[in-house]
Amino acid sequence: MNIAIVLYTLGSVLEITGGLLLLPALIALIYGESTLLVFVLTAAGSFAAGWLLHRRRPNNMTFYVKEGFVTTALSWLMISLVGCLPFYFSGAIPSFTNALFETISGFTTTGASILNEVEALPVSCLFWRSFSHWIGGMGVLVFLLAIIPISGGSQMNLMKAESPGPSVGKFVPKVMATARILYLIYFGMTLTELCFLILGGMPFLEALMITFGTAGTGGFGVRSSSIGGYSPYIQWVVAVFMLLFGVNFNFYYFILLKRARAAFKMEEVRAYLVMVAAACLMIFLNLHHQMQGMEGILRHSFFQVASLVTSTGYATVDFDQWPGFSKMVLILLMFVGACAGSTGGGLKVQRILLLFKSYLRQMQMFLHPRAVRRIKYDGKSVSDEMAASVQTYLTAFLLFFGVSLVLVSLEGKDPVTNFTAVLTTINNMGPGLNLVGPAKNFDCMSTLSKYVLMFDMLAGRLELYPLLLLFHPALWKETAQKQARLRRKNNDR
Amino acid sequence: MLFHTGRKNARKGLNIVIVGCGKIGSILTEKLYKEGHDVTVVDTKSERLQSMAEQYDIMEVEGNGASFQVQKEAGVENADLFIAVTDKDELNLLCCTVAHFNGKCAAIARVRTPEYSEEVGFLKSKLDLAMVINPEQQTAHEIARILSLPEALGVNSFARGSVEMVRFKIPEGSILDGKTLIQLGSYSDNDVLICAVERDQEIFIPGGRFVLRSGDVVSFIATMPDARRFFGWIGIRTFAVRKAMIVGGGKTSYYLSRLLIENGIGVKIIEKEISRCDELGELLPQAEIICGDGTNAEVLAEEEIGQADAFIPLTGLDEENIMLTLYAADVSDAKVITKIQRRTFHNVISRLQLGSIIYPREITAEAIVAFVRGMTASRDNDNIETLYHMFDNRVEAVEFSVRAESKATGVMLKDLELRDNTLVACIIREGQSRIPRGQDVIRTGDNVVVVTTHMGLHVLDDILK
Repeated sequence: MNIAIVLYTLGSVLEITGGLLLLPALIALIYGESTLLVFVLTAAGSFAAGWLLHRRRPNNMTFYVKEGFVTTALSWLMISLVGCLPFYFSGAIPSFTNALFETISGFTTTGASILNEVEALPVSCLFWRSFSHWIGGMGVLVFLLAIIPISGGSQMNLMKAESPGPSVGKFVPKVMATARILYLIYFGMTLTELCFLILGGMPFLEALMITFGTAGTGGFGVRSSSIGGYSPYIQWVVAVFMLLFGVNFNFYYFILLKRARAAFKMEEVRAYLVMVAAACLMIFLNLHHQMQGMEGILRHSFFQVASLVTSTGYATVDFDQWPGFSKMVLILLMFVGACAGSTGGGLKVQRILLLFKSYLRQMQMFLHPRAVRRIKYDGKSVSDEMAASVQTYLTAFLLFFGVSLVLVSLEGKDPVTNFTAVLTTINNMGPGLNLVGPAKNFDCMSTLSKYVLMFDMLAGRLELYPLLLLFHPALWKETAQKQARLRRKNNDR
Repeated sequence: MLFHTGRKNARKGLNIVIVGCGKIGSILTEKLYKEGHDVTVVDTKSERLQSMAEQYDIMEVEGNGASFQVQKEAGVENADLFIAVTDKDELNLLCCTVAHFNGKCAAIARVRTPEYSEEVGFLKSKLDLAMVINPEQQTAHEIARILSLPEALGVNSFARGSVEMVRFKIPEGSILDGKTLIQLGSYSDNDVLICAVERDQEIFIPGGRFVLRSGDVVSFIATMPDARRFFGWIGIRTFAVRKAMIVGGGKTSYYLSRLLIENGIGVKIIEKEISRCDELGELLPQAEIICGDGTNAEVLAEEEIGQADAFIPLTGLDEENIMLTLYAADVSDAKVITKIQRRTFHNVISRLQLGSIIYPREITAEAIVAFVRGMTASRDNDNIETLYHMFDNRVEAVEFSVRAESKATGVMLKDLELRDNTLVACIIREGQSRIPRGQDVIRTGDNVVVVTTHMGLHVLDDILK
């Protein structure tokens, strides 16, 4: 592995993190909070460390798949470590584990919190928490690619490692232009939601933080009651935008190109919308005997469905109190997740579609063993490798899920809590059920469980492989051998 | 900025769609990508696309490039240039025709079958093609040019052959050894200008005080008669090629044989397949066609390889071509020319005694890059007529036709602030070429040859600081 290029890119990531940390510092300055110093110092430290790593340009600037994976995994570990320092040093979150948990939860757009009293946090810390959702939603490395030109085609490996979905493509020939278009769409939609929220009478800063949470499909609220305490108008706006941010961004690119027909032809988007509608209907029918007011029931079911399918994790009611059928529908939605190429988490609708089509083909093969059938997606044949890679991903996901579940169970909580805690972190959702339900938080977990869940969040956001490769012994063995060989060569000289 | 960006990136790139990523398609992609354009590649083979996308920052579309839908997906509507270089002429022409329905882009097609290439003018005007490329024919032209000056390693012509850039290696004990360029100018009254020198892997654009050494590879610019006289003066053996032996009877052999026969050179082609031999016999009645295995030493000896003045293996395999020229250089005094497709092992190959080395892919790519640079520069500005990359892509020789007044025109050359390592090598005015001196002035209507180590000249003004 080419360690030089990995460190070099990590340097840029640290520099950018330093720059981003100045925003909460600005908020601290405006509100006259004592956290100002902590933010500025962290920013300066991060920038200095980045500069040191970034000083020497490596000779070989090529990213192969493994460098892309390792860089991505390390970048995310790094920004999480740097990002948690302000919480820890300012004393807003006194325990380091908790501070790290909160930050990882922020960057991975999970939105699982360990805070009992959200309102008690300084405004600048609240802002940083929500802002991390926005950064993590589209990704730091995609941001890096959008602003820094790197020559060669290999940087696509960085984008592939960070962006969700089984097949990451480009809109236009250049990666840089593609990354810019992605951020442009992201930025435009964020701005639109902000305007809608302000129209609903929300104060600017609060609206900004809620928007960040929606855009990254994160789910950190600024009040303990999440979105429950706001007006129905605000709840509708947030619900609709959550749904929109869960749509594949290719859709918006087609709209930008004025090719609406191509946009609505996207199989994934159709399936996603149908699934959301069906889930709403089921929950609506299940609830309407128990609650009063048609609009209210409709709003709550739509909001919860949109929130969980996109892995945002906002809540307007404590859905832990809902009947078992509704909860089951929500859990299934959590597994499916949003569209590939969106800011949402989960297995992704595209994978589920491909899996389902593979299943149908298999059934067909039993009936007509000699039949030649290709899996079609968006009107195109899907290669067998692609179909197989989706199946492998599911296997890896389930294995990973199982191991995490066993580790979390060690502390002896009830199965529903354990299961939903792992489910909700690995899919970057936020709230689970029972002890980690929407009205509760993750502070009750043991330290070991917290670290397992943190790992789950990162693995879920980066879609397993980058993080798993980082801890794969063969990679480091090979790298160590290569370094040793280089050193021996130098000594001989 | 954190990463370096070159000067060429300052210009906005064109949208270019390339159909077919075989040998020519891949080198075009590489060159055009490096020139800073947005390239989309279309091919039916996903593995090829994959390997291209891993090397360059381009977009890949899988499908048949002649299909309207696939072209739409590749963004032909918004493309500035469409290049069809699949291995089928008919498909390429169809691709370009469909592309014209899809958008208003310029179209380039590869057409290499001899039957069609005779009708290039017709095809170009009727199908509205900006350019038709025929790599085999271009290669044949380049080989024929070298054979007209066999002492040289390479010959590139400018302004339709009115002036040539000639490359040769200074032999041991030559009178050039130890001379400065100023001395050279005072000794000889030849109109010759040394433009670039390669010594120990390093490239120099030499000034007057530069001292030549034996072993240097030197490029100079001169007219063909001047170049011959110059070679005679420095004592390099001159001879005219009368008999050429070609191994392999492909399209390049056909085009080359025709050119050579026109110039009165006898041609002997050794081809393995009897059916192809029949075809060639039909097409080239004056050539001697031998049916046999040209890689067999017995066959070569029987056909008297020692008697040939030039030996040109044109088989489809690089390895065979290399072995054959090495063998020929050993058993005869013939001028040998080696055709090599793959650039990968360039370092190793350049150390072998292979005579003149020809890279057909580069020749085609240069023509297209020159065309694209002309497109990038604004319409009524200077046009790039020809472009050569020399010395392993480290030196560029560009011929501009100057159409409009600019900062570089109307000023005496000695008063122009040229960039480092940049040389105005030749001015061609009304068909007369001259090596410019300090008092000369570039005027509109001139063709100007510039030699530089800065890649990416688009307009004449780019030579200024």
